[in-house]
Amino acid sequence: MSWFELGPAEWAAVRLSIQVSFWATFVSLPFGLLTAFALARWRFPGKTILNGLVHLPLILPPVVTGYLLLSAFGRRGPLGQFLEQTFGITIAFQWTGAALAAAIMAFPLMVRAMRLAIETVDPKLEEAAATLGAPRVIIFFTITLPLILPGLIAGVILAFAKAMGEFGATITFVSNIPGRTQTLPSAIYAFLQVPGGENAALRLVVISVVIAMSALALSEVFARRAAKRVAGR
Amino acid sequence: MVRGRRGGYTRLMLRALLTSIFLLTAPPAMAQGPVVFAASSLKTALDDVAVAWEMRGNPAPVLVYAGSSALARQIDQGAPADLVFTASADWMAWLKSRELVVPGSEIALLGNELVLIGPAGDAPLALDADAVAARIGADRLAMALVDAVPAGQYGRAALEALGMWGRLAPSVAQTDNVRAALALVARQETPLGIVYATDALAERRVSVLATFPEDSHPPIEILLALVQDTNRARAFYTFLQSPEARAIFVAQGFK
Repeated sequence: MSWFELGPAEWAAVRLSIQVSFWATFVSLPFGLLTAFALARWRFPGKTILNGLVHLPLILPPVVTGYLLLSAFGRRGPLGQFLEQTFGITIAFQWTGAALAAAIMAFPLMVRAMRLAIETVDPKLEEAAATLGAPRVIIFFTITLPLILPGLIAGVILAFAKAMGEFGATITFVSNIPGRTQTLPSAIYAFLQVPGGENAALRLVVISVVIAMSALALSEVFARRAAKRVAGR
Repeated sequence: MVRGRRGGYTRLMLRALLTSIFLLTAPPAMAQGPVVFAASSLKTALDDVAVAWEMRGNPAPVLVYAGSSALARQIDQGAPADLVFTASADWMAWLKSRELVVPGSEIALLGNELVLIGPAGDAPLALDADAVAARIGADRLAMALVDAVPAGQYGRAALEALGMWGRLAPSVAQTDNVRAALALVARQETPLGIVYATDALAERRVSVLATFPEDSHPPIEILLALVQDTNRARAFYTFLQSPEARAIFVAQGFK
């Protein structure tokens, strides 16, 4: 298996990709859930605009999204300057920037899956609980959440998968710095740019596939368990 | 009755819509001009050369711009290219080894220079590790991928030859192409960048702070070769070498 031995730079790319995708998914989860609820349940002015904004990363070429992120969160961008002056945080050329790019690109997929799940929940169940005197928080955790859990897991897995594969926005926003912003797709791309780099690229592709498949299998287990619990009640 | 009529109307509208989509998207007649697969960095200059070629009453060439690796792989897969025009000696050698270019047709048509750039108006800088590191500070030096993209490979070779690579390597931010490195400096995201002289000339928001000596890196050559040995390919191949085309390239900063 000497063919499959990875160098330190390749391991760094694997580690970084998992780190970036995990945090991108984890941090955007509450925002995604809130947005999905807003779009599925609430009526408010500007709902169409919010819906459009959420879907924008799906429509725009990733390179454009990356450029917009750079314009906003770069060292000279308004949000980038605000973060640096107020909190001393720099995002550009850091792994946090890669996570931000991945989160933005994955957000519409997460929201769509969750929104569909929320729309299938019968509001009468929640109303019934409310008439019996249950507080809203309890209703959410005992009725709504278990019912939407399969959709929530699907959203999380879709977002994680998208984050693992995100390339265009990432390289435009935070470039390709080994050990810091060089994710698996960036490393694969770099290998494909040189004649004879195909083998090295293929090794990383195999690793990407293994990670994606494992995440998918894990989500299947969770989703099945969640469905069983809902049915059993 | 009413439903039937409305259904008929809808069907009619649908048919009209489909017909118009079909007509609007029908493939255009085949272009007769030569198909040129060219490196992205040639775009500004080659577009102008194509206009000059058309003005002489020739059919417009089809110019396909992409990274050298994508172009070479597509030619390997049978893409309908007549000519290939690349800044990468490695990929040209790869094409030759697979007998994908016409033997003996390869020429080094143009040269380029490698420059250190900063935001417009910045003071010139000596090519010295301390001076450059001081200017970078806690920021970064923008370069195309140093192991993969020609501009990045030349840049790394030059920094190594000048004994600056070891000091600067940790500060390098690598981009997927040289124009992206140019954009980082133009947007003042990084205080310094290494690009071709022609790139620096094309962007008003940057200044050349230093030019890398010619002997600090392998000669930068833009290579041209025939993929098809046909009359239309030969005609454009000859025109690209004419004094008229050369004047246009030189005006864009090529050597």
